Amino acid sequence: MKIKIDGLECEANYGEYILEVAKRNGIHIPTLCHTDALPGQGSCRLCIVEVIEGGKNKVVVSCLYPVTNEIEVLTNSDKIRRMRKNIIRLLAARAPESEHIRKLKEEYKVPEEKRFNVDKGEKCILCGLCVRACEAVGVYAISSVNRGITKKISPPFEEPPEDCIGCGACAQVCPTGAIALKEFEGKRVIWDKTFELVKCSVCGNYFTTREQYEFLKQKYGLEAEEFLCDKCRKKSTAQKLVF
Amino acid sequence: MVEDNMPDKKTVLICCGTGCLANNSYEIYRELKKRVEAAGEDISVKPVLKTTGCNGLCEKGPVITILPEDIFYCKVKISDVDEIFEKTLLKGEIIERLLYLDIKTGKKVKSHKESEFFKRQKKIALRNIGQIDPANIEDYIQRGGYRALKKALFEMSPDEIINEVEKSGLRGRGGAGFPTGYKWKQAKKINSFPKYVICNGDEGDPGAFMDRSVMEGDPHSIIEGMIIGAYAVGAQKGFVYIRDEYALAVKNVSRAIKDAYGRGFLGENILGSGFNLDIEIVRGGGAFVCGESTALMASIEGRVGEPRVKYIRSTEKGLWGQPTVLNNVETWANVPVIVDRGAKWFSSIGTEKSKGTKVFSLVGKVNNTGLIEVPMGVTLREIIFDIGGGIPGGKKFKAVQTGGPSGGCIPESLLDLPVDFDSLDKAGSMMGSGGMIVMDESNCMVEVARYYLKFLSEESCGKCTPCREGIRRMLEILEDICAGKGREEDIKLLLELAETVREASLCGLGKTAPNPVLTTIKYFKDEYLAHIKEKRCPAGVCKELTSYRINQELCKRCGVCAKKCPAGAIFSKPKSPYVIDNNKCIVCGACREACRFNAIEVMGRREG
Repeated sequence: MKIKIDGLECEANYGEYILEVAKRNGIHIPTLCHTDALPGQGSCRLCIVEVIEGGKNKVVVSCLYPVTNEIEVLTNSDKIRRMRKNIIRLLAARAPESEHIRKLKEEYKVPEEKRFNVDKGEKCILCGLCVRACEAVGVYAISSVNRGITKKISPPFEEPPEDCIGCGACAQVCPTGAIALKEFEGKRVIWDKTFELVKCSVCGNYFTTREQYEFLKQKYGLEAEEFLCDKCRKKSTAQKLVF
Repeated sequence: MVEDNMPDKKTVLICCGTGCLANNSYEIYRELKKRVEAAGEDISVKPVLKTTGCNGLCEKGPVITILPEDIFYCKVKISDVDEIFEKTLLKGEIIERLLYLDIKTGKKVKSHKESEFFKRQKKIALRNIGQIDPANIEDYIQRGGYRALKKALFEMSPDEIINEVEKSGLRGRGGAGFPTGYKWKQAKKINSFPKYVICNGDEGDPGAFMDRSVMEGDPHSIIEGMIIGAYAVGAQKGFVYIRDEYALAVKNVSRAIKDAYGRGFLGENILGSGFNLDIEIVRGGGAFVCGESTALMASIEGRVGEPRVKYIRSTEKGLWGQPTVLNNVETWANVPVIVDRGAKWFSSIGTEKSKGTKVFSLVGKVNNTGLIEVPMGVTLREIIFDIGGGIPGGKKFKAVQTGGPSGGCIPESLLDLPVDFDSLDKAGSMMGSGGMIVMDESNCMVEVARYYLKFLSEESCGKCTPCREGIRRMLEILEDICAGKGREEDIKLLLELAETVREASLCGLGKTAPNPVLTTIKYFKDEYLAHIKEKRCPAGVCKELTSYRINQELCKRCGVCAKKCPAGAIFSKPKSPYVIDNNKCIVCGACREACRFNAIEVMGRREG
């Protein structure tokens, strides 16, 4: 079916989200809580757009609004820009330390905050992607805790999480760099828990934590005796296939 | 079914709703029972004693009704039991002292039906409450209960039931007013099983107790409604989600479910119809947001109670991704009556677009605090001044807040507004689930907005940015204004933030959260300006912006204010009026409350 985004006619499949259609057609809609691997959070609200349907305008999030009619979409109307600017202002007051949010703030010309009491030292915008990533890995080591203004992301009891395997998926997926992952001397520290890194037996590079390696071995029933990093495993598999 | 069936036998109905219970009504029941049992064969007609659900007139509790004479006693104490037994039960004499005093007419009335409070009400959802013992399924059946279920199962097809509900014009009583019949129709259409029905009993608005009263006082009406709904849409599993703080509701609904199984109204092959339905209770943890349908479903599934976007409706993908019909307690309780008496009858009550009645919990600065049910379309003035009996203490009405914490404050100029879904929406407020909080001149409207935003900031689930951060920053500004640190540009910023929170939030909580701010700015802007520009709280509530002064001409030198002052800040020299030492005054307002001559004046921020 055909929809119009900012005047441009685009082909869309029934049920496809506006964001996907826009992306495919080179129309940029800013997002924070969306990654292609874990879509459909709808929590940051940065990707709001106006949908005109049956003569009525409504504000929806493009990452979750399915196309079911021949709608017209405005990704950058005055109203959307005004509200998006407000959302960035709110996020900047919450997470002033995040480089990414700072860039958005500049892009949307949000002035220096003079009215709100800006949170000190915060980077997290509570989008929840890290929790979903952890769930997707199958570990469930972190979760959102509390609600409303006291909400935060935390391991149980704010202690180093027992279940964490140190895979770092949470840090990887975080849009604002709020989850600290440090590596030094063959160790990785995340969520205040220290993991031993293992070396690839071929190239000798540190590539994962022992816990993650064991977790994956068990999950996928791997028989691997030696530690192989992604690159070397691919090489070795390819060689086996060739010969 | 709706009209009272007066029993021939002498019956004493003792209200054991939460309000009356708190005032010892159960002890009154026990004492009276003791007296009746002790009298044994000596009384010719042995009365039946019943504990009932909330009668509605909570302000005057504990209340007792004696049938068939229909004598209505208020504020009964344990010490009154002997007299009630001796005089009224044995001799049929009326005890004047315990009768209800009608505020409007100034007369004592014998039967509650003669009082302004009850006369103007029409009870559909509350039809049995106060009349039956909620723990006794026979009581419910005697008043026509489960008759509609039989009619639905054996005389109607699912489509006919849905048509009937659709034609009745019933709209969801939980707040949004979504047409119930249409919702059912959507769920029925989807060819995916299992399907679910849910009763939303997660009432969390401050000052609201409509749903609690129905669950406590007439649980079978909800269960019967759910069975009919489940049959109509093809669901075989139902959940009643009740917040765990509602202990009596959990107890009474559990008992009712068990009894319904016992009588073959639930379980396999209901009444031999071939239809199966199981219902179980899920106890909620008390998060306000879990009253939002998708958050509630997440909570039933065992996940964090956070809403999801509803571009795909729950009737298509709800609980565990399956078609789900979720209705509020009051909505379900209306269903049996609609099936029993027909859509035509139901739709003859109410307004063009809002049919039937609505239950409200009328609280705040109003004489008859309590639970009421009125036809849609009555005016706020009728509710507050006729049924509610007006404002206590001769104070002036200021506003009424409808629809729970995210409803709006409606001013005096709109008191003649008919109460229905659309009119309230238009006024910037909403029907919500039916909370109605009356405020008088001693309420500061900026402080009221601050109070509700504080509640919402804590009860937002925190998932989406506009709601979590937006409400929080709006609250920050309101706190500043109340503390005398408001800035001229604050009103503009509040309005701008309100737009983003309302338009861009994920669920209904965020979308309606700005209402208290928007309506108070719209209708009481002068109060905001007084706080911001003049550094004065006209109502004398915000401490930082209030000081008191004794009007020297009005002061009669009685000295009550000085006696009541906990800070010892009021003194006088012989033969001269009293004065307040502002350095000692803690702005508690005790003097103002105590002064009978209105001599204590509210002034702006104290100097220096």
